Amino acid sequence: MRSLDTHKENSWCPGCGDFGILNAVKSAVTNLVESGIPLADFCITSGIGCHGKIFDYLALSGIYGLHGRAIATATGLKLANPQLKVISFGGDGDSLGEGLEHTLFAAKRNVDLTLILHNNGNYGLTTGQFSPLSNLGYKGLSSPTGSIERPFSACGLLLEAGATFVARSYSANPKHLTEIISKAVLHKGFSFVEVLQPCVSYNNTYRLYNEKVKALESTPADIYEAMKLSKETENIYIGVFYETQAATFNELLLGESNPARDRKSSSERMAMGLL
Amino acid sequence: MRERPRSLIIGGKAGEGVKKVAQVISEVLNSLGLYSFQMDDYQSLIKGGHNFSVVSFASDPVFNSYAKAELIICFDQRSLDLHRDSLSPSGSLYYNQDGTLETEGIGLALSSLMKETGVSNVSIAALTIFFAHYGLDQDLLYTAIRRSYKRDVEVNLLFAEKVFGLITLKGSLPVPKPDSKPGKLLSGNQAIALGAWAAGLDFYFAYPMTPASSLLHYYAARKDLGVYAIHAESELAAANMAVGAVVAGARAAVGSSGGGFALMQEAFSLAGMVEAPLLCVLSSRPGPATGVSTYTAQEDLNFALHQGHGEFCRIVASPDSFERAFTLASELLCLAWKFQIPVILLTEKHLSESLTGVRLELSKIEAADPQTPESPEDYKRYQISSDGISPLLFPPADQIIKWNSHEHLESGLRTDQAEAVKAMKDKRQRKRAGIAGATLNYQRVAKYGSGHKLIFAYGSTVLELREALKLLPDEYSIISLIYLDPFPYHELEAFQGSEALVAEHSQSGAFSRLLQEKLGLKTIGHLNRYDGRSFDPEQLAKQIEEGFHA
Repeated sequence: MRSLDTHKENSWCPGCGDFGILNAVKSAVTNLVESGIPLADFCITSGIGCHGKIFDYLALSGIYGLHGRAIATATGLKLANPQLKVISFGGDGDSLGEGLEHTLFAAKRNVDLTLILHNNGNYGLTTGQFSPLSNLGYKGLSSPTGSIERPFSACGLLLEAGATFVARSYSANPKHLTEIISKAVLHKGFSFVEVLQPCVSYNNTYRLYNEKVKALESTPADIYEAMKLSKETENIYIGVFYETQAATFNELLLGESNPARDRKSSSERMAMGLL
Repeated sequence: MRERPRSLIIGGKAGEGVKKVAQVISEVLNSLGLYSFQMDDYQSLIKGGHNFSVVSFASDPVFNSYAKAELIICFDQRSLDLHRDSLSPSGSLYYNQDGTLETEGIGLALSSLMKETGVSNVSIAALTIFFAHYGLDQDLLYTAIRRSYKRDVEVNLLFAEKVFGLITLKGSLPVPKPDSKPGKLLSGNQAIALGAWAAGLDFYFAYPMTPASSLLHYYAARKDLGVYAIHAESELAAANMAVGAVVAGARAAVGSSGGGFALMQEAFSLAGMVEAPLLCVLSSRPGPATGVSTYTAQEDLNFALHQGHGEFCRIVASPDSFERAFTLASELLCLAWKFQIPVILLTEKHLSESLTGVRLELSKIEAADPQTPESPEDYKRYQISSDGISPLLFPPADQIIKWNSHEHLESGLRTDQAEAVKAMKDKRQRKRAGIAGATLNYQRVAKYGSGHKLIFAYGSTVLELREALKLLPDEYSIISLIYLDPFPYHELEAFQGSEALVAEHSQSGAFSRLLQEKLGLKTIGHLNRYDGRSFDPEQLAKQIEEGFHA
């Protein structure tokens, strides 16, 4: 298999949790290719922010889209060619701020793609303002006396929206993260992976996570248990909270057909006698 | 001067099937070899209010509907009050005398008859009146009811028979000419939909917004075409999904009205930056903001010309007929794919939603296909080229195909580097010359009439003018701009500094200003209508005469 590296110089801060995500994605893709998925089938989309730079560091096809819209773009890609294994990367703002609607709708529709949320609890690249996932009281340039907003619970939201695979992992646990990403990609339907990602410059959560992160012993019995465990703060659980099978949007829309592969040429259309 | 078309008006409440029955009448006229133009005037509500449809028809092509009618059918008091004065001197007015004040005209106890026969659809009466009034075959009426109203067939037929018995023959339809070919009955949006499909459209993404929604509905209903109609969560989603579909190699389009397009602006720029071929249908209604939802306007000309932020090439063109709506949609999709740019088909409610016979020019359809790489081994998505076009390859592929909304290198990787930024901007800009040249292969300007008095217009205003010119001596010509960007200098050179009238559905006269700026046109008069309604050809004809004699 060819290398998944590009020649782009990496500009993440030393120690950034994004390195852990990049390495885990490369390992997961490598494992998946070894298990038989063609490398050419992988396609990525990303939004804008620190997380989005992963697009430039991964030698995979795709589109580095607009802030907040990577999931919509990923949906278009998947619908046009359902053979593709589409992985979309999002930051706090992309997935749950500017692009919240697309995230919820992708889960609602059960589009067969994977969303990896780089949860660093702030807007790093724009100098550390509070994000939809920042804690109450978070101090940043736009909230100097502390944020007066409560954070979303990412996994809880996605469970409620109808995601058929919801998991959490930690960027500093490469083995766990690699496994979770592989499972997410193999899941048929919308898979959501929240990655706890410390931001060394504005929201260094390494100590907190190293202390509190605990692996789930087993998949919670049902969605209510999943919801409860995903929201706990004494222990921050990582692992698969929920996994279920349901018809995917792309299957329901397309059946067996693949629009990009099966498209009729203009002259074939003209010969159909429909005009 | 030719024979003035006849017109009928049907008025009633929303939910009474006014538009549907007008369409059935249009179909009947079409099947008889007559030309028709149907304009539906409706409000943004589901039940109640007031809706009316006008069908103007003749043995020659009809380009627009008229305000005056020789046959008016009113289901309720409000319709009577609004349309009584539209009756031409020798015309007939039929109305439902149940629940209305007695008036001059022919009152029919329609509500009582409906109760008696158990019919729920009053519009069957309008169809019956039309048939009986013009002395058309009763069996043909029953066939039309059976074909178009699938529910309550037997009671509908009984009701029709009773209504038929109450009407005396009053008129006769024009006699179709032997070579009459009114074409396929289509709305403007249907013509656009078919043209884009024929050129290769695979996906249509939209969030419903009048008057573009019928594009979404048409593709959703016409499964046989095989265009996937995706009703997205918002216009932002629709436009970004469309770009995603393009990255996978599908031909994609989006459509909306002004408000929805405002939401798609960023994605429009995205298409400009990533060089995504994208067909955008912008069907205007009066603005700003929510405006007047179900009426017509041309307020979005500058919005279309300046859509998106940043600098990049686009094409903006507007169909001036239903035939052109079909060919232009195909043409624009082809140009989008040839140059990998976003293109806008700018139209209005008046064309989008009116209904007429359309002769589809199938020979003008081309395939919307991209340039593909000669040697895909060292593929670069944004390879620098002399014409600015980088060949396209789609995943799954062994090559790495990276599209990027940041400024990028040839490889598609992001860059901030000064020289690289300039090189990529120059590459995209080089398409401009090619676009100007390629559009010369198509009709960018049309001239109607042979007179020396000039009237400039674009879009469906041209239809209104063409109908008005039928009522005037041969002194006038309409100069219709189909392409607005690139501006068709070549074809318009001869009109530099000319004197002319400019007709448009805009208060500020945006089109007039464009002509002044680009062409130094001396506007001697403005024919601006901006109340959401289309021009009445008779009134417009008067305004044209006055405009030149002022």
